[in-house]
Amino acid sequence: MSAAPQAGVLRRLRPPSGAIAILFAAIVGGALVFASGENPAEAYAQILVGALAWDNLPNTLNWATPLVGMTLVASIPLRAGMINLGGDGQMVIGGLVAAIIPIYLPGPGPMVATAALLGAAVAAGLYAALAAWGETRHGIPMLISSLMLSYPAVGIASSIVRFPMRDTTTGLPQTALVPEGARLMTLSGPLNVGLILIGAIALLVLFIDRRTVAGFELRMRGTNVRFAGYGGVRLDAQAMRVMFSSGTIAGLVGAIIVLGSQFRFIDDALLTPAYTWSGLMAALLANGEPAGAILAGLFFAALQTGGFAMQRETSVPRVLTMVLQSIVILFLAIRHGVEKVRG
Amino acid sequence: MTVLELEATGIVKRYGGLLANDRVDLFVERGEIHAIMGENGAGKSTLMSILYGLQRPDEGCVRLRGEEVHFRSALDAIARGMGMVHQAFKLFNSLSVWENIVYGAEPRRGAVIDRRAARRNVANLAERHRLAVDPDAIVGKLSVGVRQRVEVLKALYREAQILILDEPTAVLTPQERDGLFGVIRHLAAEGRTVLFVTHKLHEVMAVTDRVTVLRDGRVVERMKTGETTAREIVRAMTGRSVSLKIEKASAQPGAPLLEAIDVTIASLGGRPLVDKVTLKVRAQEIVGIAGVAGNGQSELVEALVGLRALDGGRVLVGGVDVTGADVAARREAGVAYIPEDRATVGAALGASATDNLAMGFHRRPPLAHGGLIDAAAMASRARALIVKFGVKIASERAPVGSLSGGNLQKVVVARELSHEALVLVAEQPTRGVDVGATEFIHNQLVAERDAGRAVLLVSAELNEILALSDRILVMYEGRILADVPREQANEETLGLLMAGRAPEAA
Repeated sequence: MSAAPQAGVLRRLRPPSGAIAILFAAIVGGALVFASGENPAEAYAQILVGALAWDNLPNTLNWATPLVGMTLVASIPLRAGMINLGGDGQMVIGGLVAAIIPIYLPGPGPMVATAALLGAAVAAGLYAALAAWGETRHGIPMLISSLMLSYPAVGIASSIVRFPMRDTTTGLPQTALVPEGARLMTLSGPLNVGLILIGAIALLVLFIDRRTVAGFELRMRGTNVRFAGYGGVRLDAQAMRVMFSSGTIAGLVGAIIVLGSQFRFIDDALLTPAYTWSGLMAALLANGEPAGAILAGLFFAALQTGGFAMQRETSVPRVLTMVLQSIVILFLAIRHGVEKVRG
Repeated sequence: MTVLELEATGIVKRYGGLLANDRVDLFVERGEIHAIMGENGAGKSTLMSILYGLQRPDEGCVRLRGEEVHFRSALDAIARGMGMVHQAFKLFNSLSVWENIVYGAEPRRGAVIDRRAARRNVANLAERHRLAVDPDAIVGKLSVGVRQRVEVLKALYREAQILILDEPTAVLTPQERDGLFGVIRHLAAEGRTVLFVTHKLHEVMAVTDRVTVLRDGRVVERMKTGETTAREIVRAMTGRSVSLKIEKASAQPGAPLLEAIDVTIASLGGRPLVDKVTLKVRAQEIVGIAGVAGNGQSELVEALVGLRALDGGRVLVGGVDVTGADVAARREAGVAYIPEDRATVGAALGASATDNLAMGFHRRPPLAHGGLIDAAAMASRARALIVKFGVKIASERAPVGSLSGGNLQKVVVARELSHEALVLVAEQPTRGVDVGATEFIHNQLVAERDAGRAVLLVSAELNEILALSDRILVMYEGRILADVPREQANEETLGLLMAGRAPEAA
């Protein structure tokens, strides 16, 4: 019986729910820090400074580039009511293709880089579209197939860099370095043109979502797929296009990391920061709405780089920021559930 | 003064800014059949869910036999002798009749359910109330009319003294409906009380003792059925007088615009859902398909509009074969479609009226140029349609999920009619729609016909079929049983055909 008044409180708290979720997470996280004998204010100050101080801003942006990219990867299908859990595999395919092309393709650097980016995007896009094809032709749910397709992609890439393409000079499971000319141009510090590329893609996604026929059909499908079909949207072709676009961006993210910061494909290096999953959380926070998703992606990036700073400066471990991130998600999920129950 | 069986006074219920019930008073005597009438959005459902414990009123109180009650859930209400038969049945389709009826109140022997006693109780109960039903039948295999009997029995098994029936006749044949009325009268004669929620005037006139009419969340009239007329009730419901008869000239059919030739849709084993159906709808003609829900009408319509692939046969629109074409191509060829289920097919409830009204028009000028949406054109088109079709909505930006059934249907109808397509397929166009909106939609369908279009009307509502059609087809178990000109059709012959009687006498 006590559930009802509580639900009422949550409901009244609705308007700036994102902000409230963050505040709530900050309080819970602060309590955790306090309980472990540290100073919460100090920890939070370090997160803020670490993420947003002028000197640290490039780091945050560098972290945000792949994370926002992977946020878009998740948010485009989500906007249409679909889900792409295969970001890892698509990113790895993109990264591997982006490493292979410059190693084997001769020619002027910028052209090779462009070819590598395009090749990575198309390869990953096609791989993602495979999941859509499986669903529309054979009824294999994309939720499962997109995730399952990740494993062979990651596994094959790993075996390629362990055996045929292993860098003989280091003996580590990684490819040889890409020629310098084909690397992405550096802007300042750790930042490279990948940042501009992802920024442009983000703007493009926003534009398509808001202003184009394709965006309208995407939103309508997300609101009610049967209505979209009834209204004459070609659902199967749309699903293929959506997954292709989503995979394309994942491939670009992989290529940007390889060509922009690691300069080679290193086994597992693309996956350890878990951009796919942070991006998915950011997209889920905004229910696929791209502007909100991008903001959430930036927020998570800031939280994570801030976490590194906090760990350096205080004895609070970086994992706190993951806790904060999880609490934000959990809080919003609860609120979502409450709304559903209350109808 | 006698104590009332059920008394609700000053009931107020708000949903956000909307006042769904505004100081509603309801007085129901023991043993009466009491109609609750009102247009969609008048507050009937809200009031019923308050009486049945599904919602709590913000103000006001409910008294049962003079004693104030505060139901916290439907279980409380059931324990105090309330029963409700919902529009959408709440049954387990894979379980048997007796299992459904005793569910949650099973007779036990120790820790196990006493199946024999349960079956016996159910059989006795069915016999006592003359509700013929086989206790061992699987509910999913029963016709809709029989499932409804199971719902009534479920309530009676829990010893309901007050039975709320929410739009109970929407899915019944005329014969089944008359059977239900017999049951209702029998229950009332036994001293039980029946609250009968409906839009249908002739049913109110036929079976009820008193009527309470709601409008805009308020009680506007309380009448004794014997001392009023259908016209007066309509005036109370709508606040104006509505013509109950549709004015229309005789049809001058032209060339066939929609043709189905041997259309077949297989089912997974068993009889085809649609079995070699051949039909023709010509320009300036309304062809009605009558039939009890679930006899293949929905599947046939889906096949005609392109939402379902055919297993055999052909479909022609304006003489062009569109058999292999998808929805988009058929719409291009000239098919507009008002679907049966406006909430899950005909509209995106979470999207704005602007978006809903644009769907299907969003690829071409004036709404789109070269792949870019013209948001201003979309909004002004939506505003124009909202005005033209009299949709009651706060703004074109409001999500259509907030609209009442009638207003939502107007949105769907507005969009589909503005296609000015050769063929209009209208499926249950006024189901759950109030009298005022029904009149409006009917007139629009006749106007479509008079403008030279072919209209295929599918309805489980015989009155609607009879009022609008120039020719009537009866569908039963996937086949067209009869093709009757309007002049030769009447409720009785159609009713028999709908129940599958061969047309020898018709």
